[in-house]
Amino acid sequence: MSLPAREPPPSADASLTLRFDDSDRDVLARAFRTPGEGSPAWRLNGEAHRISLVDGFDRLLAWPVLQGVTRYDHQERTALRVLRDMRGRAILADEVGLGKTIEAGLVLKEYAVRGLVHRALVLTPAALTEQWREEMETKFSLPFAVLRSVRDWDRKPFLIASMDTAKREPHRGAAQARPWDLIIVDEAHRLKNRFSLNWRFVAGLSKKYMLLLTATPVQNDMDELFNLVTLLKPGQLHTYDRFLERYVASPDRRVPMRVSELRGLLRDVMVRNRRGIAFTLPPRRVHSLAVRLSPAERRLYDDVTEFVRDAYWSASGRLPWTARLTLIVLQREIGSSTFAVAETLRRLAQSPLFRLDERERLEELRQDAAAISSNAKAARLRAFLKSVDEKVLIFTQYLRTLEYLRGVLEADGHRVAAYHGGLSPAAKDAAVRTFRADGEIFLSTEAGGEGRNLQFARTVVNYDLPWNPLRIEQRIGRVHRLGQEREVHVVNVWAEDTVEANLMELLDRKIHMFELVVGELDLILGNLDERRSFEDLMMDIWVLRQAEERRSALRRLGDSLIRARAQYEQVKETNDAVLGDTGEAVSA
Amino acid sequence: MSDALPLRPFVIEALTDLGATVSEGDSLVWVQAPESVHRNLEVAPSFALAFDPERSREFEAELVAPGSYFLERLVSVVARRGQWDVSQCTVTGKEWISEALRESGLGPDTADFSLVDGIEDEILLLFAFRVTLVSDEKRESFHLVAVSLVDGSTWPVDPDRADARLFPHPSPGIRPDLETGYRLATESLRTMTSVDIERFRTRSLGLLEEEVRRIFGYFDRTIDGLRESEPGGSQDLLRAVMAERDRRLTEAVERFDPKASGSLCSIRAILVPTARLQLEFPDGTKTESRLDAWSGRLRGLVCSVCGGTAGPWRPSSPDGLRCATCASKPAESARPRGRPRSDTPRRGMQVGEASARSPGGSKARSRGASEGHRHP
Repeated sequence: MSLPAREPPPSADASLTLRFDDSDRDVLARAFRTPGEGSPAWRLNGEAHRISLVDGFDRLLAWPVLQGVTRYDHQERTALRVLRDMRGRAILADEVGLGKTIEAGLVLKEYAVRGLVHRALVLTPAALTEQWREEMETKFSLPFAVLRSVRDWDRKPFLIASMDTAKREPHRGAAQARPWDLIIVDEAHRLKNRFSLNWRFVAGLSKKYMLLLTATPVQNDMDELFNLVTLLKPGQLHTYDRFLERYVASPDRRVPMRVSELRGLLRDVMVRNRRGIAFTLPPRRVHSLAVRLSPAERRLYDDVTEFVRDAYWSASGRLPWTARLTLIVLQREIGSSTFAVAETLRRLAQSPLFRLDERERLEELRQDAAAISSNAKAARLRAFLKSVDEKVLIFTQYLRTLEYLRGVLEADGHRVAAYHGGLSPAAKDAAVRTFRADGEIFLSTEAGGEGRNLQFARTVVNYDLPWNPLRIEQRIGRVHRLGQEREVHVVNVWAEDTVEANLMELLDRKIHMFELVVGELDLILGNLDERRSFEDLMMDIWVLRQAEERRSALRRLGDSLIRARAQYEQVKETNDAVLGDTGEAVSA
Repeated sequence: MSDALPLRPFVIEALTDLGATVSEGDSLVWVQAPESVHRNLEVAPSFALAFDPERSREFEAELVAPGSYFLERLVSVVARRGQWDVSQCTVTGKEWISEALRESGLGPDTADFSLVDGIEDEILLLFAFRVTLVSDEKRESFHLVAVSLVDGSTWPVDPDRADARLFPHPSPGIRPDLETGYRLATESLRTMTSVDIERFRTRSLGLLEEEVRRIFGYFDRTIDGLRESEPGGSQDLLRAVMAERDRRLTEAVERFDPKASGSLCSIRAILVPTARLQLEFPDGTKTESRLDAWSGRLRGLVCSVCGGTAGPWRPSSPDGLRCATCASKPAESARPRGRPRSDTPRRGMQVGEASARSPGGSKARSRGASEGHRHP
């Protein structure tokens, strides 16, 4: 055996010698030259060391310091299995909604607490980078940064990068030049082809531990499973020829053979937890509250839209990135309420991003918005609330809409607990407690709600609709989660002939998003052959000038979504057939 | 993070020792810290501590739990302090000598008599070490090693007993020979931990071997397959596969390469009365020993079977002095007399206990010159 080695390989004949730190010399040099800090300090020094000792992976240490993470046995068992048995190299292939991200975060945190991981890289699709950063920070207190420049590879020890960015130069070389303690690849089914840039990029990274996260390791055929496992542990499924010969029914590469034997090999590298009966959630019921805007609101909506379209297709050429973002914000705010948009209009009316004539139009729009005091959606909501005699969560994206709603709902006599990002953690706690104790309405701007459990309520009102469907799903997930025993009601309030109406058309009518299990939407959207985010796709359609153009673009996107959902269903069936029980059936 | 000690008393005492004012509530602890302390701990001058994660959001309390940032900071601050200390053990009379002999198994029915040559003050050094074993996992342990600079003997000390019968000593003028003490302590620690280190090494290398075998198996068969399927095929492809194999092997070596390191945490000098003893056993053999009032350990005695020096002792003719462990074993399991003592520590005895001094006592010493002390 000849080992290539950057440093001498450990020899089976040599003994391992206990080496002492150079820092010992400092202690020896200083000791007894001055009076010590006293006997209690000496004893405490020893206790500090004893308290911080690390001894293998007999248990998870990090649970108590996680924020807003509900403790589930299957996640704890998975993390321990990865740490102890798989020694930090695993495919986490849980069915959707069972918490692969939490499991990966747990493993990472346990390594970090033990001082075994100092540098970690998370590779995700571009749309998920910020979500990962937020989750790692809020739940695991891990200071991840999203890759912004090539210098970040040197400067940021905990880095999140989109796979598409990282695999290309100059990032590729920078990423592969440094050793990583842990690499996490989300949506790892994108590594299905070993001749792809994705696969070769990840294979070329120098790493100690690696976690591959995917609910569907097999997308089309068995080759993909081989490629994924070989990336993690070459030889685990033998060589490619031997794998085909033994485990794949020729000529159809989608059909496995010797399934039981294959699953035995997979158990060494893969955990796949499945929903048991007790983990099945009660159904969701969707209610659609379509609203016709008042004439004044309609006029303002149309005028704002016209401004957005004009500015978007500005004759002065391509808009700067910041101006484009500003237009998206404007269009989203007017979809929420006139109150939400008014302040942005005021700011933009003074912004150098726009020409003088544009600024004058913005000022006129601001004045129109300020003159509107009624709100058709709020009126519809208030009527709906009269028919409800239980706790309700109402979500809006904007603080100004929240403040307006709070005013009118309290005036109606409702007990409202408001929850938004400006509150301190203690005030947020108090809001949740108030709602739980005797509140009627929990009015929140935060879709994630920082992982708080609110499943004692079961009705969610989307007063406005985020264009990112995953945000909508996060809102519903506040009540539609383990512990919820009653049917969940999702109430969508939306105005006709708006972007939100288009969203409802796509998400509700085309793919029945509101009835999906948490996590499935990720995979369906991932099947869309689009490099752009869903929000961008919505905006692209909305800014088209001709109504017929918009309708046909919407139809095309709808068809793509239907195909993406069908593809997901098929892949799910294949994975169940091939992988079956490489984990456990999870129950509550 | 270890469960060895409860967190709450440690944190409260540590903060108090750092100069903070601590008041305990039902679920939270309130702390007012001087500037240097709150700056080092990266907290506000007044803050609350919660030991229950459920309560940590109240008053924005700092959570104290394994892995919490506050605990990490506190441990780091406390571990930089108290790196040396001088303590003393004081005793009156000589009763402690016969008590220690009895506890060592050398009471009046086993040792014929003991003579106290004299009692003198000795400085023992107590070295605290943290030992870390790392491969793709980490295992740590904490050790206290006592060193006598007079006779060069070393022995392990139970950390929970490191404070027993000791009082602070005003230390001006104490300058022990730390270099010699450290050398003896590290040698002893190497022996004490050798079994664990070897076990760790064997396991790591076993994992490495398995990994290397799998990698070679996969890549070499893949290369063979490529050569067979296309005898005149691309050499570039073969070279790429080989390079990938070598890279994977390097990665495996780096991952499983076991490392063992020790670091000195602190040193304590202990001023302690030590008696020089002459012991005579029922079979007539005599030996010299030293006994300090703090550890109660008889130094200079060696088990005739296992070579251990820890005791307790069972002197019995005609086999000579045995430690209690060897004395309780059936005769056939004992090492035949005359065979050299093994350097390998035996199961059940404290490893690393060795004396630099000859185990045999001098019979030539004049009993008249000694202060005689016959057991009652």
